[in-house]
Amino acid sequence: MLQFAWLIPVLPLLGFLCISFFQKQLPGKSAGIIGSLTVLGSFIISCGLFFHPASGGTEPVTITYFDWINVGSLKIPISFLIDPISCVMLLIITGIGFLIHVYSIGYMAHDDAFGRFFSYLNLFIFFMLILVLGSNYVLMFAGWEGVGLCSYLLIGFWFKNNEYNNAANKAFIMNRIGDLGFLLGIILMFVTFGSVQFSEVFSAAKGFPDNQTTIVAITMLLFVGAMGKSAQIPLYTWLPDAMAGPTPVSALIHAATMVTAGIYMVVRSNILYSIAPSTLEFITIVGMATAIFSATIALAQTDIKKVLAYSTLSQLGYMFVALGLGAYSTGLFHVTTHAFFKALLFLAAGSVIHAMSGEQDIRRMGGLRKKLPVTYFVFLIGTLAISGVPPFAGFFSKDEILAKAHMHSELLFFLLSVTSVITAVYMFRLLFLTFFGTFRGTHDQAHHLHESPAVITIPLIILAILSTLGGFLGLPAVFTEHHLFGNFLAPVLSTPAITSLAEPSHFFEYMLMGISVVALALIIYMTYDRFAKKEMVPSLSEAEFKPWYRVLYHKYYIDELYDKVFVKPLYWLSDVCYKIFDIKIVDGVVNLVGKGVVRGSEVVRLAQAGSVGIYIFAMVIGIIIMLVVNLY
Amino acid sequence: MTTLIILSALGLVVLFSEIFGYKKIVLPFIFAGLVAALAASFIDWNIGKHYLNEMMIVDNYSIAFTVLMIAITIVWFIISPGFFRDQGSRVDHFALIIFALIGAQLLTSFGNMIMLFLAVEILSIPMYILAGSNKSNLASNEAALKYFLMGAFATGFLLFGIALIYGQTGSFNLQQISEALTTQQDGGGVMAVAGVLLIMVGLFFKVSAAPFHFWAPDVYTGAPTEITAFMSTVVKTAAFAGFFRLFATCFSASASIWVNTIMVVSALTIIVGNITAVYQTSFKRMLAYSSIAHAGYMLMAIISLNGYAQQSILFYAVAYSVSSIAAFGILLAVSHITKNDDVASFNGLAKKNPLLAFVTLLAMLSLAGIPPMAGFFAKYYIFTAALQQHYTWLVLIAVLGSLIGVFYYFRVIIALFKNENSAAEIPMTGIYKAALLFISLVALVFGIMPGLLAGLL
Repeated sequence: MLQFAWLIPVLPLLGFLCISFFQKQLPGKSAGIIGSLTVLGSFIISCGLFFHPASGGTEPVTITYFDWINVGSLKIPISFLIDPISCVMLLIITGIGFLIHVYSIGYMAHDDAFGRFFSYLNLFIFFMLILVLGSNYVLMFAGWEGVGLCSYLLIGFWFKNNEYNNAANKAFIMNRIGDLGFLLGIILMFVTFGSVQFSEVFSAAKGFPDNQTTIVAITMLLFVGAMGKSAQIPLYTWLPDAMAGPTPVSALIHAATMVTAGIYMVVRSNILYSIAPSTLEFITIVGMATAIFSATIALAQTDIKKVLAYSTLSQLGYMFVALGLGAYSTGLFHVTTHAFFKALLFLAAGSVIHAMSGEQDIRRMGGLRKKLPVTYFVFLIGTLAISGVPPFAGFFSKDEILAKAHMHSELLFFLLSVTSVITAVYMFRLLFLTFFGTFRGTHDQAHHLHESPAVITIPLIILAILSTLGGFLGLPAVFTEHHLFGNFLAPVLSTPAITSLAEPSHFFEYMLMGISVVALALIIYMTYDRFAKKEMVPSLSEAEFKPWYRVLYHKYYIDELYDKVFVKPLYWLSDVCYKIFDIKIVDGVVNLVGKGVVRGSEVVRLAQAGSVGIYIFAMVIGIIIMLVVNLY
Repeated sequence: MTTLIILSALGLVVLFSEIFGYKKIVLPFIFAGLVAALAASFIDWNIGKHYLNEMMIVDNYSIAFTVLMIAITIVWFIISPGFFRDQGSRVDHFALIIFALIGAQLLTSFGNMIMLFLAVEILSIPMYILAGSNKSNLASNEAALKYFLMGAFATGFLLFGIALIYGQTGSFNLQQISEALTTQQDGGGVMAVAGVLLIMVGLFFKVSAAPFHFWAPDVYTGAPTEITAFMSTVVKTAAFAGFFRLFATCFSASASIWVNTIMVVSALTIIVGNITAVYQTSFKRMLAYSSIAHAGYMLMAIISLNGYAQQSILFYAVAYSVSSIAAFGILLAVSHITKNDDVASFNGLAKKNPLLAFVTLLAMLSLAGIPPMAGFFAKYYIFTAALQQHYTWLVLIAVLGSLIGVFYYFRVIIALFKNENSAAEIPMTGIYKAALLFISLVALVFGIMPGLLAGLL
């Protein structure tokens, strides 16, 4: 199967080329079908790799195709690393990617730019696959930038709306800040180790003591990149705005795959991070802050996609907490389950938006469960999974993070538990406001309400099944000796000194489960009572908000703060630079030089008079000068 | 050696076609012969071989250049279909091109001063004739005469230089000359210094380095465009391959004699070539000056004298010839319709002829040295090799020169996208389009994956 590995990224690339070149010739939905089939092909090959003995835990395989850059001591081959980590990511990207492609055939059916949408989507899959397959940091960076570009293109997909373009710019620029960190990290790494190849860097790193300054600097810089791509504080504000893109994009790029690239990067570099405990500490703090901070914001949002966006931020925070604790496989496990249920929630939300003719405000929804039974049912499963109700997928991965946190520090455990509670609250609030109570939309919308076609509901059902059963990949120790997921990854992961190896006691595990089940039951009852039974819908007018609610509704005014502190002064500075430095000095000098060259050209041209005599004279003078200078 | 025999046989076959009356089918013959020669070149890859008492040395360096030049000649035969169709002497011209190619091949693989001289002459004499091949055109006649007069003058210096070196070392064999120059004190004294300098003058003329470049603009402009295309790609590449071979291997021990001179000439060539190109309104003449400027960059590789120099000059030769032949191919197609060589005849080309405009765009970007084209890495490698020898000021001049280059190359790109409807649709055969597209993609692929080529030598 390994000989086909190159096809995994190449197939979506071919899909992209084919769709973008023949957009106009492709009839009907064929662009969508081509797009889906190429990703399906990649998925099948990925499955083949997954069951290949090499990825079963023995030796990671590196396949080198050719030298990409070969300059001095810098040698960067195009080569793929296939090991358990990349296998897991491949399956998530191609599997969920395929489902979302299929879903989009239905969702985007009436869009004028149907072909363009699928060409971007395929291009995204290509870059994402390069990102996880690359066996060196530069190739990873190429994929990293590529997915950023596709994210930009897809957020601003409906480019006629200027607000969407602004959202796309914001995402791009914020990611740029992170990418700068990432790039500096790679450069520093090259300077330190003389290589950017994973295998060489990691084996060289083994000789370094813990918390060596350079290693800490490298890992911190790389993490800055992850903060941008995975939207952690302070570089997170682009992600909620990115919801401007079509809903399948939010599901694929801004929930299931691209935003987890940062987590993938840290897991991939686990050997570096393990010898930099201070960076891990920092990651824990950032992750924890993002988790709780964005969870509280989600409490007061009224846009169905915004709630999910903040919840994604919060879950990404969770994952980073796991990484910060050195529990890399746990982090990746949560990436996997989160990919299932968050893709499901977004796609279900898309189905709702589709039925509501584009309406996204939950204050105008309500009572949809009778009209959209399938969507309601899968949304319910997604909600149960994300809230951590056993035995749904989210329960196991969250439980694992909580248990690891408990081993590390009580405060962390407490904060994570609070976040968990908040998560359940905002998710059930969303569920009840959308699907229960009475319909609050316009008459027109009520008239048009309909369940989505099969091409949309079937992917939803598959994701719902995955969200239900996905957790069994990683049953906690209390049930079984075999943590499938952890064992699969174990050979390629390291354990930092700060991670305690002790397993949580069985008593603690049972207690944790018991308490969470009781707490969840309480939350469900309370939210049901408040939002479904009494229908306490948030007011449409801001004036009636309580002060704390207003702060949350405005997301702690962080966007306004950034605007005042960074954006406005930057604009001012750039205006000054433009008017004084650029126009007067730069343009002046450039124009002067340009004029000089043209003038010089006029003069030099005169020597080319066409007379052989002059030419030979010039040659002879040249020869005489040469001989005189060299011989005397 | 097999390549040489195939090419010589091909030349004779083409020459006799007039007499034996198979003129009509001579083109397929040529293509078959060239492809065979191309294939035969690979036989000796990685096997260094000497022939004829070390007269000819075939190594990877010479094979790489030979392959490049044969490939460019094949493309040349595709893009010059209308070449003298209405004149009786068409096949003679074809034969001359092939003989010139033989000279070019010898120039990459000589192991002896005599062979160097023969190669230069075999290459030059057909070019003197071909420059004047448009007999009814006064400019073409003038070009041929000028080229011949000045070429003869330069050949004298080359021969004089060879004689002096022989006088000093007693040998024509490069290996022996190199050993003699190394063992003799201060690089061999006045005779050796003068000899090296005079050989250098002859070669400076051939590669059109300032101040020996004056023939180039006039000849390039006056000669038929097809011939200019051949001169500025194959002939130029061959001249550089020979120049580099002689100086970087045979004279490398006495580098102190000639490095400073080449440095100054290189800087001068870059400045003169680029600055004069700015003022040109004719695309053909602009390319002539740009080819002078590129000669300046390639001279930098000769004085770098380190491990990267060889691969950097090969990379540059590939990037430059591929983009140049593309540019000439476009010019041929366009001027066929508009009947003039002005940059203005490219105005609004993108609307009616998107493919042609795309190829022009790639060729101009590559010549200007903009990523992701091969021209970028070509400059990058050469500048890096020069920087390693601490020729900082020379690299500075070269970079400034490239900046000026952007000015006149981009003028063509701007013309392409001008909002004018003056451009007519330009008819091209399928194979013509395919050849243009293919060479542009070669320039693109080597720009994206320079490793494919850079690690070859």
